[in-house]
Amino acid sequence: MLAVLRTRPAVRAAVLAAYILLVEYARTLSEQIPYAVVPALAIGGAALALAAWGWPAERIGLGTTRLATRVVGGLALAVVLLIPTAARVGAMASLPLDVALAAVLVSVGEEIAFRGALFAALEDVGGGGLAVVGTTAIWTAAHALSHPPQFLFAVAAAGLLLGIWRMAFRDLVGPIIAHVIADLAL
Amino acid sequence: MKRPGVLLIGAAIAYLAAAWSVTPGFYDGFVPQSPYNFVCPPPIAGANLPPASGHLVIKVIGGVSDANSAFTDDGQVVIGFLPGAFDVTGKTQVTVDIKPVSPCPNPSGLHFSTNTYLISADAPLAKQTDKSKWPTLVMRYSNLAPDPSFVYRSDSPNGPWTNIGASQQAQPYTIDTKTDVLGYFAAGYPSGAISKPNSQANSQILPATIAILIVLVLVGGIPLTIIRRRQARSGAADDEDEDEDD
Repeated sequence: MLAVLRTRPAVRAAVLAAYILLVEYARTLSEQIPYAVVPALAIGGAALALAAWGWPAERIGLGTTRLATRVVGGLALAVVLLIPTAARVGAMASLPLDVALAAVLVSVGEEIAFRGALFAALEDVGGGGLAVVGTTAIWTAAHALSHPPQFLFAVAAAGLLLGIWRMAFRDLVGPIIAHVIADLAL
Repeated sequence: MKRPGVLLIGAAIAYLAAAWSVTPGFYDGFVPQSPYNFVCPPPIAGANLPPASGHLVIKVIGGVSDANSAFTDDGQVVIGFLPGAFDVTGKTQVTVDIKPVSPCPNPSGLHFSTNTYLISADAPLAKQTDKSKWPTLVMRYSNLAPDPSFVYRSDSPNGPWTNIGASQQAQPYTIDTKTDVLGYFAAGYPSGAISKPNSQANSQILPATIAILIVLVLVGGIPLTIIRRRQARSGAADDEDEDEDD
């Protein structure tokens, strides 16, 4: 089985996508159980991060070169993600500390899973274009249970933006920073 | 790099358009799944739908009212009843109704974060000394309103209002409590309370956060761009020197 995953990129990408979707759906459903929100977020985030197991840091966009540029880029991406809500609402969500910390775990876990490991796996199959489209599609599908349908266009567009950044700069630090800030603020 | 740059700008524009088409915008699962339906929406609420009512018929089986939960169709109020919650003398069923109250009560000394709801039944609640057997009331509140500290109950929309406490949050943006009497319910906090984590005082925090992020991007980005251009120029000069040497 492991040999198949190593030698057949398409199978590897499909297995990874299925694993990520399964974790996301399980996490979303678990959050509905009273008092299970924080454990569900924390365990879900850790399980998502496991998707990067075996991938070199450079391959999933976590290299250390041009770190300052990546950080500044992440802040710029966060500005774009926050603008539509800030223009109309103003108030930030006030997450309890334990939920906020768990939310950070999920944000980092989602980026490592979607635009880290899954992106790299899909890139092996069909290049950067397929990786952007594929991660955006799986990312949107993963949020289908947690978001009303009318929000999924915004979710998809956010996935597309972060995916194109990942492809253009071969960087995951920026999307992680943007995702964490957006989740804490929205 | 030019083509990815164009793609990135295109994606940013597409995102802004998509997120602008829904209120409040993009979020990732940590705010209430659907916007709160206010009777009296705050100015920052944007588009608002009227809140829904709820209706439930509870069967009486073997002289005991069955366990069941009444809820509004928008899920903003849920009240759960254990078996035997009602005094069902002479009844074959119990009807429970939940209705949002309009106009919004505005009691002095209190500020309500949620709508006020009238929860009524055509049978009285059974006297229970064990509080754990009392009906559980869960009220959802908006991320746009200040977080409530307690649930308040009254026999009239004009008050007086009694603080009936609040339990630990089972879900984000919900407050729950137990009650042994039905009537008017709302979640809120004393007007004199300070340091509410989601109060009007922080209603402009998000724009301020964006302003700080933009400053950080400029402060960090401009020097980085200058350094990179200098490095590029010196690299090009080195190449020219090498060409001349050749």
